[in-house]
Amino acid sequence: MILISSSEPQSMCYVATANLDGETNLKIRQASLEVAGIIKEGQLVNLDGKIECEEPDRQFNNFVGTLYLRGKSPISVGPDQMLLRGTQLKNTQWIIGVVIYTGFETKLMQNSVKSPLKRSQVEKVTNMQILILLLLLFVISAVSCVGATIWNKMYLENIWYMGISGITPHNHVFDILVFIILYHNLVPISLLLTLETVKFIQAQFINWDEDMHYEQNDLYAMARTSNLNEELGQVKYLFSDKTGTLTCNTMAFKKCTIAGIIYGNHSDNTDDGNENLSRASFCEFNDPKLLENFEDGHPSSEYIKEFLTLLCVCHTVIPERCGNDILYQASSPDEAALVKGAKKLGFVFTTRTPYSVTIEVMTETHTFEILNILEFSSNRKRMSIIVRTPAGHLRLYCKGADTVIYERLSKDSLFVEDTLKHLEIFATEGLRTLCIAYTDLTETEYQDWLQEYKKASAVSQNRIQRLEECYEIIEKEFLLLGATAIEDRLQANVPETISTLLKANIKIWVLTGDKQETAVNIAFSCKLISSTTPRIYLNADSFEAAQQTINHNCGDLGNLLGKENDLALIIDGETLKYALRFEIQKKFLDLALSCRAVLCCRLSPLQKAEIVDLVKKHEEAITLAVGDGANDVGMIRMAHVGVGISGNEGMQATNNSDYSIAQFRYLEKLLLVHGTWNYFRVTKCILYSFYKNVVLYIIGLWFSFVNGFSGQIIFEHWCISLYNVIFTSLPPLTLGIFEKCCSQKSLLEYPQLYTVFQTGEMFNTKVFWIQCINALIHSFILFWFPTKMLEHDMILRHGYTTDYLFLGNFIYSYVVVTVCLKAGLETTSWNRFSHVAIWGSIISWILFFSVYSFFWPIFSVAPEMTGQINMVLSCPHFWMGFLLVPTTCLIQNFFWKLIKNTYKRGLLEEIQELESRKDSILEHSEIFEKRMTAASLAVSFSTQPCEIFFRDDSVDLSAPHGYAFSQTEGAVVTQEELVRAYDTAKMENSRISKRSSDFSEIF
Amino acid sequence: MSRNVLNVPEVCLVSYRTNMEKEFQHHLSRMPENSAIKQQKLPAHRLHFSNQAIFTIFFATGAFCFCIGIILLLSAWKVQEIEINYTNICEDCAKMRENALNFDKQCTCSIPFNLQKTMKGDVYMYYKLYGFYQNLYRYVLSRSHNQLMGKDVRDVKDCAPFKVTSNKIPIAPCGAIANSMFNDTIILSYIRSTSEHIQVPMLKTGLTWWTDKYVKFQNPSFRNLSDHFVGTEKPPYWQEPIYELDTSDPGNNGFLNDDFIVWMRTAAFPTFKKLYRRLYRVKYFSDGLPAGNYTFDISYNFPVTKFQGEKAVILSTLTWNGGSSIFLGLAYTVTGVFLWMSSFALMAIQGKMRKKKLSHRR
Repeated sequence: MILISSSEPQSMCYVATANLDGETNLKIRQASLEVAGIIKEGQLVNLDGKIECEEPDRQFNNFVGTLYLRGKSPISVGPDQMLLRGTQLKNTQWIIGVVIYTGFETKLMQNSVKSPLKRSQVEKVTNMQILILLLLLFVISAVSCVGATIWNKMYLENIWYMGISGITPHNHVFDILVFIILYHNLVPISLLLTLETVKFIQAQFINWDEDMHYEQNDLYAMARTSNLNEELGQVKYLFSDKTGTLTCNTMAFKKCTIAGIIYGNHSDNTDDGNENLSRASFCEFNDPKLLENFEDGHPSSEYIKEFLTLLCVCHTVIPERCGNDILYQASSPDEAALVKGAKKLGFVFTTRTPYSVTIEVMTETHTFEILNILEFSSNRKRMSIIVRTPAGHLRLYCKGADTVIYERLSKDSLFVEDTLKHLEIFATEGLRTLCIAYTDLTETEYQDWLQEYKKASAVSQNRIQRLEECYEIIEKEFLLLGATAIEDRLQANVPETISTLLKANIKIWVLTGDKQETAVNIAFSCKLISSTTPRIYLNADSFEAAQQTINHNCGDLGNLLGKENDLALIIDGETLKYALRFEIQKKFLDLALSCRAVLCCRLSPLQKAEIVDLVKKHEEAITLAVGDGANDVGMIRMAHVGVGISGNEGMQATNNSDYSIAQFRYLEKLLLVHGTWNYFRVTKCILYSFYKNVVLYIIGLWFSFVNGFSGQIIFEHWCISLYNVIFTSLPPLTLGIFEKCCSQKSLLEYPQLYTVFQTGEMFNTKVFWIQCINALIHSFILFWFPTKMLEHDMILRHGYTTDYLFLGNFIYSYVVVTVCLKAGLETTSWNRFSHVAIWGSIISWILFFSVYSFFWPIFSVAPEMTGQINMVLSCPHFWMGFLLVPTTCLIQNFFWKLIKNTYKRGLLEEIQELESRKDSILEHSEIFEKRMTAASLAVSFSTQPCEIFFRDDSVDLSAPHGYAFSQTEGAVVTQEELVRAYDTAKMENSRISKRSSDFSEIF
Repeated sequence: MSRNVLNVPEVCLVSYRTNMEKEFQHHLSRMPENSAIKQQKLPAHRLHFSNQAIFTIFFATGAFCFCIGIILLLSAWKVQEIEINYTNICEDCAKMRENALNFDKQCTCSIPFNLQKTMKGDVYMYYKLYGFYQNLYRYVLSRSHNQLMGKDVRDVKDCAPFKVTSNKIPIAPCGAIANSMFNDTIILSYIRSTSEHIQVPMLKTGLTWWTDKYVKFQNPSFRNLSDHFVGTEKPPYWQEPIYELDTSDPGNNGFLNDDFIVWMRTAAFPTFKKLYRRLYRVKYFSDGLPAGNYTFDISYNFPVTKFQGEKAVILSTLTWNGGSSIFLGLAYTVTGVFLWMSSFALMAIQGKMRKKKLSHRR
């Protein structure tokens, strides 16, 4: 949409682009002056012309177009007039614009990636096994067919009792079909239904979970798809957006150091529980000592005054009076936080006129005349303002990065060392720091400089560069006042969640569109990296440079490449463009995977998706992307599992996600508890379903060996059909729905448990076939034991003899009992449903058997079953076998389980044992401690310092700086122009009251 | 799972949440009751056994299995059983029967044998066939339940390949099973002395499951049985029609003939026994079969050599657990022994691990 006009002076408007690039600061858009005046309906009606513009593309910062208005010369339109889809209008009452791109033509949609069909790893493995099993079915059928042919050749001619037509055999195709029908249940078709049911209920469990209920918005977690449930238990890489996901996207002035004394609230995170409160008063600075020192004439009180005055004066914030309150609107959230902080301390910034600012200190009003604004840019990393103080002195106030300020300190500057120390403390906490300094100017000095400045501003070429050079002249001989620390407010419990996830051996990559400094700061504040972590910066402006840096670093890592090191890799979007080139992407990935934390900054939405795709393709691991904004849609769709934070940034991310949660911290429960459980359940359910089908239906094969491969079934038809429907339908469901490997408490307490599942050792081809072979052995026992028992035929009282179905019913009963008890053996957590399922299934078979034996001749089904129940149940052999056969089958499973429990004791078994013996807690912790120190545990927090010698200068081993500042740069409206444009003293009050709270976020 | 692939395009560039969206959200977050099921907090318990419990279980189960096994073996050994395979003994008859043209010729064969010990109690006589596949798919199917119920003697629907004769007359009883019914006659004689041959009294009835005799098999009528089979033909391999199986006892004639019913219950294996006669315990035989010399007089009708099969006749007593099968007893004993062994193995492993642990600690 092209901006035509707006409510603000000079047709400006503010937009938040956090949805697109994750940047926290507001951006300014300004309409072309030619059309800026068009604000009335009539004018709009008469607006006539055409717009020529480029084809839709995916570059957020590019746009070229021309507006041809009838009777006027063409007006060029650039990105500064563009309002993109996905941006949010802020601090602006209304705008009028012309829509250019819609739907799929919008840049946001151009950046979207196709949503791939998401299937879970487990499902893929299962499908593969089903295929193999299908193949096996054909093989068995073919073998049976060959057997039938041979048998027929050998015997059929002489079997007079089959009559003449019996001698003419069927053709082989028919035979094969008969056998396929005979064995077809080997492939568990019921599994699909069972699995769908199980997954649906698992999804419901996620939806119902009160622990993931965000009461503030009354939002529950929501599983938008149910076929990725088990994937949550195997996540290896977590790609997280920063803004809105890790952070709340609000800044708070938290601490400061003035004249070598730290002020501020030291006890962090005391307000986790009542976040509502802290949000309402989101300036958290509450250290009464500061004011005490100021009022009581502490030696540093003069500095404090200067410090706070600077905060009130040196900025580009615009105040708005709203009743008795003053609201600040700023394009930089940092500045807003500082001004707000100062206001709370009694230094209230009240009025801005084009050439002055007025502040109120302890009911006294001071007006500072603004002479010049030395603008902020990310190169300069500082911003200064030259004012004439109420007393008439000329003074330059400056705030900026510690590095640049310290370069320019005068020799007389005090507290340099102390402040530096404090800065380090702030930085380690992940606070955004700004150094505060000032210098007094003499009249002549200023006048001389002004000349230079005017000259520089008049230059048409390289004006910005010239101006910056000019600023350089006057920004010197600073006197340090102190430093501020702003908290980019994290969402609740983010550091705790991250450290838990790290312990669970999940690698966390932060992908953000925001600036590098901000990203690094957040990484510190959420404890993703510590101050001792060496940071590798990859910032290259050419392919060669990128390649070289990556190669150097890879070389330095040497053997450690590919292992996990306590390193952080920081890369920006530009460099990533090169790094993702085919030639070096593998190298880059190797390097990235060797680092514990990876921060990617300044990424376009597409790049986010590309990174996820890169990892997904090259690593055989499950990736999870979490984000909240429209710019995260790409990666959410691309990752194996996409999680949307249903936050404040609209529904885009949520709508494209597989799971939506309200807060980042819920990931912990979602992954560690739901993920683990679901994975455990689904795999058990699948394995068990295969097991039970193989056990029953392979018996058909065994029987074929004694009936000349004629295709006779040993069971009654309806019994076979109801096997999956009734007699063994419940145990897989209870396994899939209620099974727990360990309690929620243990899972959260020992995140290391997650690694047990992450590796996929619970379910892979090997495990699957072991289970199938186990089923084969069981079916062998289940067939041959009864066979041998009944072979003698003289087992019934009165010497009655039996028939094939008698044997069939023996076997069938044993199968049902064995299979149900096997489910019991698999069940680690018994609840009432497990009991119902297991005992109920066995009883249901007996009941059915009893009733079914009396059907004939009342119903014309199952004449063969008539009288079976009496005979079977009255046969002592049946009861003898009833005890023996299932025992023989299961005792070996039990035995192997015991052996495995003793020899290959994993963490899971250890914790399961802990849980089952709740009485002697002391002993448990002791066991666990031992366990923890054992090398077998994946130690995600390697405590030993990194001993790699880096030669490349891209590696930063020093303590963090913590400088970060968000401000609009290079916009149409310079900061100076912006400040000069407002005169809040004159501004009509009505405007403010009309302001719709929907549109603006109030600072 | 249909996923929302297309985004709903936002109407306006400015994306603020409309009321509708809010309502939608509200709707999504149904208020679940905080029940234990929904929060997955159902009380559950974990099966966990201490090492001691496991050993106890293994030992106890092992001992139990072992004891049962021994009991079963003992009871099986108590059974007295005599099996006489008469395929080779009656070789001449067997050869004759291979040729179908000799169907109307009689062939008898007598087999003397000596019973060294008295067979006490009920004695059962079985015939046993080797290599006769009663479990072939098409064989098992080839019968008409409706016919055998006496409902409609002309119902031969499922009886292929023995539905009708070449004259299209329905067969009763139809089907391959009925057609191939065992038709040897076995008579046991007790030789008290060279001159005194006593035919051992045997019961022809009471050989079938109750349900067979009273539910599954019914004659069309008790009286004038032959009238009800008018319009049907006897099976091709039979010598007399169904209503002449036992003319002396109407309760054992027609479809209700015990030998017929026993045969119709198709065996699971190609080698099987079928109950043929029960000892009628009177006179000399009130305690069972006394020791002494006996003869089987067999009228040899049933051809088996053609399909490389064999025939045998069996005399056996039974215990509470049936015949002399030792498999179950063996299986129990072996399982018991195995359980003991594995519990010892487990103990050894545990001991080893404990040692390891201890040495680790040091």
